[in-house]
Amino acid sequence: MRSIRTKTEAPCSQQSVRGGTGARRLAYAVLVAGTLTAACRGGVAPPLGTDRDVPPERGGTLRTAFFTDVRGLDAATAFDTAASALESLLYDGLVSYDDAGRIVPVLAERIDKSPDGKRYTFPLRRGVLFHDGTELTAADVKRSIERALHVKTPCPVPSYYERIVGYSAYHDGKVDSLEGVRIDGDYQVSFELTEPDATFLHVLALPTVAPVCKSAGRVWERGFAIAPCGAGPFKLKRYEGGQIIELVRHDGYWDKGKPYLDGVEWYLSMQSFTQRFKFERGDLDYIRELSEADSLLYRSSPAWKGRGEWEPSLTTGGTFMNTEMPPFDNRHVRRAVSFGIDREQVAAVRSGHVRAHAKMVPNVLIPPTPDYPMQRYDYARALEEMKLAGYEYDPKTGRGGYPREINYLAILDSYAQTAAEIYQQQLARIGIRIKIQVVGWPTFLAKTGRRKTAEMGFAGWHADFPDPSTFFEPILSTRSIQDEESQNAAFFSHAEFDGVLDRARRSSDAKERDSLYRRAEEIVVEEAPWATTYTYSYYELWQPYVKGYRPHPVLSQHVRHAYLDSGGKQREARLRSCGTGLAWLDRVACPRAPARTTLALAGGRR
Amino acid sequence: MIAHLLRRLFWSLFTVWAVVTATFFIYNVLPEDPARVIAGPQARPADVARIRTQLGLDRPVHVRYGRYMSNLVRIGGPPPDPKNDSAWHLGPLHVDFGVSYLKRKPVTQLLSKALPPTLLVGFLALAIEVAIGAAAGMLAAMKRHGVLDYGTVGLTLIGISAPTFLTGLLLQHLLARELNLFPLDGYGRTTAEQLHAAFLPALTLGLYGAAYYTRLVRDEMITLLKEDYIRTARAKGQREWVVVFRHALRNALLPLVTVIGLSMGSLVGGAIVTEKIFRWPGIGSLSVDAIVERDGPVIMGVVILFSTVVVLANFLVDLSYAFLDPRIRRR
Repeated sequence: MRSIRTKTEAPCSQQSVRGGTGARRLAYAVLVAGTLTAACRGGVAPPLGTDRDVPPERGGTLRTAFFTDVRGLDAATAFDTAASALESLLYDGLVSYDDAGRIVPVLAERIDKSPDGKRYTFPLRRGVLFHDGTELTAADVKRSIERALHVKTPCPVPSYYERIVGYSAYHDGKVDSLEGVRIDGDYQVSFELTEPDATFLHVLALPTVAPVCKSAGRVWERGFAIAPCGAGPFKLKRYEGGQIIELVRHDGYWDKGKPYLDGVEWYLSMQSFTQRFKFERGDLDYIRELSEADSLLYRSSPAWKGRGEWEPSLTTGGTFMNTEMPPFDNRHVRRAVSFGIDREQVAAVRSGHVRAHAKMVPNVLIPPTPDYPMQRYDYARALEEMKLAGYEYDPKTGRGGYPREINYLAILDSYAQTAAEIYQQQLARIGIRIKIQVVGWPTFLAKTGRRKTAEMGFAGWHADFPDPSTFFEPILSTRSIQDEESQNAAFFSHAEFDGVLDRARRSSDAKERDSLYRRAEEIVVEEAPWATTYTYSYYELWQPYVKGYRPHPVLSQHVRHAYLDSGGKQREARLRSCGTGLAWLDRVACPRAPARTTLALAGGRR
Repeated sequence: MIAHLLRRLFWSLFTVWAVVTATFFIYNVLPEDPARVIAGPQARPADVARIRTQLGLDRPVHVRYGRYMSNLVRIGGPPPDPKNDSAWHLGPLHVDFGVSYLKRKPVTQLLSKALPPTLLVGFLALAIEVAIGAAAGMLAAMKRHGVLDYGTVGLTLIGISAPTFLTGLLLQHLLARELNLFPLDGYGRTTAEQLHAAFLPALTLGLYGAAYYTRLVRDEMITLLKEDYIRTARAKGQREWVVVFRHALRNALLPLVTVIGLSMGSLVGGAIVTEKIFRWPGIGSLSVDAIVERDGPVIMGVVILFSTVVVLANFLVDLSYAFLDPRIRRR
């Protein structure tokens, strides 16, 4: 058991205050005291509570925050990161991910897949209750999926389910029922696919098609977004847009004894510096959206050593090159760019959150091995590729290179803007001059999606679901090219590449898929439609009394199995909250708290 | 007088219409696609196209404008579909800003919820800036060329120069984090909590305005204190505070009223940043989110609301001249 010391009192905060009389004196005292206290506090506050090995205990409310607001919690329509974290607490699906990131049945008892890979059958658990107390049946599963894919539902991702038989007819409003989803009695549901699809279980694990209560109806209505009802471990207690979402335990949850927490309070639209201040006071128990400066402070603090963890990154960032526009219609120029970018330098600018990365698929999904095809920095090769392209460049004299300045599209106030400045310097060394155009996010999307408009620019992708296909198909396949709204900003079209992706999607053999995606990665290295350069990650922190939480390999902020060790938390949090650093001011600001002194608290159960 | 008022009213309505029209076309001719923003950067083209159709964004811009304006103000009976009604009803007048693309709620509902917090902070800020401005300006003028005067002038320079995001952060750090006198952010559930939480954002906004008003009142007072009628009042043996308060300050406040009307816009502008810092659920926060996410109906709703407020405030200022200055009333 460790004793805890609150933040050390600095000598200068004990100075007496001298001044005039009455109100003037008080005002002067407050001003001086505040300034001195502020000046004397540096670094970060130490952790709260004790760090003990305790078995899971029930009780307590976990408090955390988002930088953004949550627009709604209707499973069928909410798809942003913030909403997804809450949806994973409100809804259970037929399948989800275990702690290792593998697909496992949840509301289904098991997953039965036909030999041809075109039929999935799910016998359902008995006695699963929705938040409103009604029992989940196969009809609810079918109704929920049909509701999500209905023509009038503003679901952002219905096309993920296009391989279900009858999808088009149903989604276009031509028929009333989704033919490929069949129910057999109250407790069995099956899915017929038009062709084998290795990603089907992943899209089924998304909250989009999670079963929702009968009150949600057959057709989408906007009211459900603020009154969600599912079969997850928590149910909604309070939803105040831009302020807070409060969840409480669903006592009828099918997994008896879980969840451990009484509730979860999720503050919305909270600035990252406010999150830090509240975390220090114990007003938040877990945070993820620290500013880079604050994250660095915590990571370098001895008191916090080993108490935070990086969230596994499912993101790839870099730069795209439009293969339909000069000079990037010449593959040697693209390869020169790929060889000419020193990824370590790109990452060094924001040490920690940004890391060097040289392949399409994030390391969480395919860990890098020495023989895995990856792009790399090779200055000599970059110059050689420029020569092969017909734009020989002499670094000593600065002569040669590509004669025209190339426009580079970056997003305002993002790391993409910083990275662009680094590319600008690095590519100048191989004879490529780029001019950075900074635009807002919507303009960026519009310009990069339009044919023959953007020569080069920021490229980034986050996994829709944890499968390598999501890093190739939507952004580099010929199918994803359009004249407008193209997601393939490089307008990269490669017959072999497309064939490899099609085979990988249909294959259910893990080894075969691995080798096919390795070939896809090889093609990207050879053809360089993207120069992948970095990956971005969040640093997560939680107080020592928060137990049972680790960043999940797939699900962001997955706190459903967390529990609180109640010992010592309440008392110290109150002291921290009321401690102004000055005894006389503490008596005014928080009269019920003892005067702030160096304090030793033994941990113990409440 | 009545003709003057009618003329002012016409120009006020025209100004609001011009602002609405300009905003609509600026928003709609930008090379941006709200459907893409709504669907998310990774949405597939087919899904984006579906959303565009659902929102009616696939129609020509003039058709959308006509539809928007015809829905905006309607006179008549009850709404045809009460379940999906998204309008404000003022007797037979129905004002409908549409439904937010992203929050999928009627804009009138969002504005109704966001307006009271903004008004609370706005009025508190106004009270702070007028109280500090009038008092500090008066004292500085009375002690002209003294330490108090120079100190006040110096502080007002800092107050005017410091942007609200900096002042807000400093106040939050000092008064909320270090001294724990106010909540760090948030709105609170009870009226007492809300008033307590409103103080820091109001002070942030108020300090900026206070600096400006201090300068204004000081300069006005300095001029007025040299006037003949002030000398007359002093010669009559009236006490100094009576001279200052009754004769000088009352007249010095006239330009202040004008500026208050004109500053409604900047108060809202400042609130946009301040509300974000303090997580205040007002129009400022709503505007920032709407602009970042290109939520057209909300942007339009906010613009219409505030152009109306600013125009109305100036209209009322015009009216108030007549009451404050008898010379204008007689014209």
